[in-house]
Amino acid sequence: MSYYSALTKTAAIIIALIVIIAAAGIGYYIITQQAQPTKIIWVSTQLVPPEEQAFVKDQLLAEFTKETGIQVEFVGSSYEDLATRLESEEGAGKVTISLIGELHGGLDYFASKGWLEDLGKFGALSGRTFPKVLEDYSKLHGIKAYIPWMTATYVMVINKKAFNYLPDDLTQDDIMQGTSKWTYDAFLAWAKRLYEETGGPKVGFPAGPKGLFVRFLHGYLYPAFTGAQVKNFDSQDAVTMWEWLKELWQYVHPSSTTWDAMADPLLKEEVWIAWDHTARIKDAIATKPDDFIVVPVPAGPKGRGFILVIAGLAVPKGAPNEDAAWKLIEYLTRPGTQVKVLQNVGFFPSVNEATGAVPEGPLKILASGVNKQLGTTDALVALIPSLGAKGGDFKNVYITAFQRIVQNGEDIQAVISELKPQLMGLFEETGAPLPPPDV
Amino acid sequence: MVEKDTSMVKYYLFKIIIAGLVIIAVLWVITPFIISILYAFSDPTDYYSKEIIIPLHYTYEHVRKLVALGAGTAIINSVIVALMTIALSFALGLPAGYAFARFVFPGKDSLKLFIIGLRMFPIIVIAVPLVSLYIRLGLSDSLLGVALAHTAMALPFVIIITSSIFAGIPKELEEAGLIFGLDRTGAFLRITMPLALPGLAAAAIFTFIMSWNEVFIAAVLTLTNRTLPAFILTSAMAATDFIKFAASFIMILPAMIFVFIARRYLIAMWGITLR
Amino acid sequence: MCKLFSKYILIRGVFIAMPSHPSFVEKYLPYILIAPALGYMLFFIGYPLIQAIYLAFTKNGALSLENLDYLLHSPFSKFYEALTNTFLLVIVIIPIQVAIALGLAMLFNIKFKGRNVALYSIILPLTISDVAAGLIWYTMLSTNGFFNKLFINLGITSEPIYFFGYQFRQMEFLAIVITEIWRATAIVFVIVFAGLQMISQEHIEAAEVFGANVWQRLRYIVFPMLLPSLQAALIIRTLFAFQIFGVVWTLAGRDIPILAGEAYYEQVELKHQGVAAIYALVIAGISVAIGYLYIKLFKAKYLEAGT
Repeated sequence: MSYYSALTKTAAIIIALIVIIAAAGIGYYIITQQAQPTKIIWVSTQLVPPEEQAFVKDQLLAEFTKETGIQVEFVGSSYEDLATRLESEEGAGKVTISLIGELHGGLDYFASKGWLEDLGKFGALSGRTFPKVLEDYSKLHGIKAYIPWMTATYVMVINKKAFNYLPDDLTQDDIMQGTSKWTYDAFLAWAKRLYEETGGPKVGFPAGPKGLFVRFLHGYLYPAFTGAQVKNFDSQDAVTMWEWLKELWQYVHPSSTTWDAMADPLLKEEVWIAWDHTARIKDAIATKPDDFIVVPVPAGPKGRGFILVIAGLAVPKGAPNEDAAWKLIEYLTRPGTQVKVLQNVGFFPSVNEATGAVPEGPLKILASGVNKQLGTTDALVALIPSLGAKGGDFKNVYITAFQRIVQNGEDIQAVISELKPQLMGLFEETGAPLPPPDV
Repeated sequence: MVEKDTSMVKYYLFKIIIAGLVIIAVLWVITPFIISILYAFSDPTDYYSKEIIIPLHYTYEHVRKLVALGAGTAIINSVIVALMTIALSFALGLPAGYAFARFVFPGKDSLKLFIIGLRMFPIIVIAVPLVSLYIRLGLSDSLLGVALAHTAMALPFVIIITSSIFAGIPKELEEAGLIFGLDRTGAFLRITMPLALPGLAAAAIFTFIMSWNEVFIAAVLTLTNRTLPAFILTSAMAATDFIKFAASFIMILPAMIFVFIARRYLIAMWGITLR
Repeated sequence: MCKLFSKYILIRGVFIAMPSHPSFVEKYLPYILIAPALGYMLFFIGYPLIQAIYLAFTKNGALSLENLDYLLHSPFSKFYEALTNTFLLVIVIIPIQVAIALGLAMLFNIKFKGRNVALYSIILPLTISDVAAGLIWYTMLSTNGFFNKLFINLGITSEPIYFFGYQFRQMEFLAIVITEIWRATAIVFVIVFAGLQMISQEHIEAAEVFGANVWQRLRYIVFPMLLPSLQAALIIRTLFAFQIFGVVWTLAGRDIPILAGEAYYEQVELKHQGVAAIYALVIAGISVAIGYLYIKLFKAKYLEAGT
């Protein structure tokens, strides 16, 4: 009998549970069906970290809604999720996303797939001018694919303690100003001295699976040593570069191959010198503003190579409420808004009118470092090439070369000669032009 | 477990060894939990200090920040999805598990293998076609959609576990029930089911955990109605260590409570079985 | 044992005689019970699966082996490394997990004070996802993490122990093994323990009365009756182990390439959907083979006698 009563009890609980769930499910479904017409969805791969999202939702968009009455749902997403999502929506012809915030490379891929609206039809935005390089780059695959939204770059962060171990004939001022003495050879000597005198490696790179170390290879070292990102891939200068890197790597923290962002290793003092994207070291500077200083990257024999990253705003083809999306683009590229973005999240403006204002506080350290890097006389600006879906293959060539030469100790000339045709093949296959400074 | 012929010394030695083993096992498992919970509330300065191993100053800031951003809604979403998944996968999987345990029929092994094999395809590659399918079905960005996908993921395991549980209950008991005038359904409900309940509860926990922790499908299939792992993956993983710890803490907490409740249930059911 | 069974065989004789004119429902009952689950699976997994096979072996609509060629011969492919590493991880991790889980199950089968609390603690890792587990252990084992801080401040070591980085792949491997054992032993434990709890105490007591010692009781009664649970636990763990991803990805990145990780990398970073699909198919193939092996190996003999 007790079996029976236990059973009825259990059955009753299970049935009740199922009924509740079903009711919740149906109720939920009905609620989601009644979406408000003035609400647009903005999916962004930028400004995703919690603090940045809070800024976007509570300040940027709150003000926009107050001004226009348009509700905006900001959805932070990874690039992979966004690409998957967009592919399916465009494939099924049912688009829910009104606005996309993504990096140049991703937008290039979306445009190559024909998923983006030509923004040329909305006309020009008044009261602001975009730098020419940004204007040119936002025209992709025959359309005005996106409006430049924010820019960023990669810099070096130094823990001030490291200045106690400077090599001979290199001063702190050389480094901070990016003079001709601040070279990769001087950097190597510094790294070596730090290693020997502090008893361990003090230099780190974000060479983990999601780290951006590959940008250092093709956008910093290659231009600095060979004068180009791609075309001199297997030159004698490239051999010199790889030899330099092999030597440096002895003094680089071994955990680098598992680091995706350098803020934590810097804060934990696992390293004193790090190279990374401005957004990925911002937390370190914000947490301990007195410990760190941001400096230009070193120069190589051919100049001071560095990458400029561009984030853009785009409208998917067939997007709902595209006029509302355009209003949001207009709002986001206003000089006033751009200064706010710079002050709150540390992304740099995309319009000339906004560049004047530099925020006070820890971010000033970052901003001045970036400005100094941009202003160095030997600057060699590199842009990430527009290879669409082949962008991953492009990175993979440099990563593979690094793994085989530096990590496995294979013959330099043999590896780069083997990989060069693969690299050039990507540009031939896609018809993409070689990126600056190659052309 | 008192050995019949042991002296007091042997008895206490035995007790000490048992206690030692249990303490080692428990410490091994819970230390990382304690550390990560402490770090979730740690003041950043303490966390990054080289000398301070256990943080001395604490703050709710990290967790508060995450909840303010929508972790609360995400938790509710996750619970709804997990419960729907349990209901669906048991409704479909229980009969199949019973059939595999109790009947001999042509094609049994191949069918079992086929069902397991279906699940073995990595989620990552399945997700993309699934999204387009969902959009056509009008299920995209809905919790039901996620639950349906999670059911597909959990179903083979529900089938395997339930079939093992039923197989572990002597068939003879059920047959005895048949002799005493019960029909097949009655024998199942009144004899096999109660005996199987502890195992089934374990299977339900397993399903819950599987759904609760699944990230990839949830991240791809939802956009505005994020489940907790999807929310954390997309908004917290880009952050610094202590935010990640805070995120892990929010993720672990509800699951811990669920397992705690289910554990009471498990113990009670074990009591019935062992009577 | 024989006497015990003879009684049941007699009963079974009656049972078998009963459905001598089986109705339609009775005859096809197992299929009817399985059909909904099977149909569901076919719809939700079969369809994407076919799409994946299509992706793997076609290019622009025509049959093509280009993806396979890339997988096996491209200088960018890490297929062989990934295959070796995945097998190595499974071979190292699974036996340890099963041994620990069995030991723990035996231990917790003994009644002692505080058993419930200890039990709850032991199954805690069930609540944690692989990515979160990887993250926790990564920060705990990193150069300035919990363990290194602890050891250095206690004076056990003077230099930090390096667990991560390409130069320390053996240590990374160790870190993965530690994390996986910490994280996933609980699943095996719960299933085995549930099975152990269901073994009727009467059987064991009966054996005890007939003078069987502890080992004999384990060997001839507990272990055979535990086999179905063990089989379930083993299948689940092994199949999941072949898909190991989150833990490796967070702890070692691509320093230690593994099958699922390469599938993810090919799909997400390189957009080689076809190659990713082949990786997925390889994992699926291995899994089916292993599942088949287990089912053949672990046929619970005492159950067959009863069917």
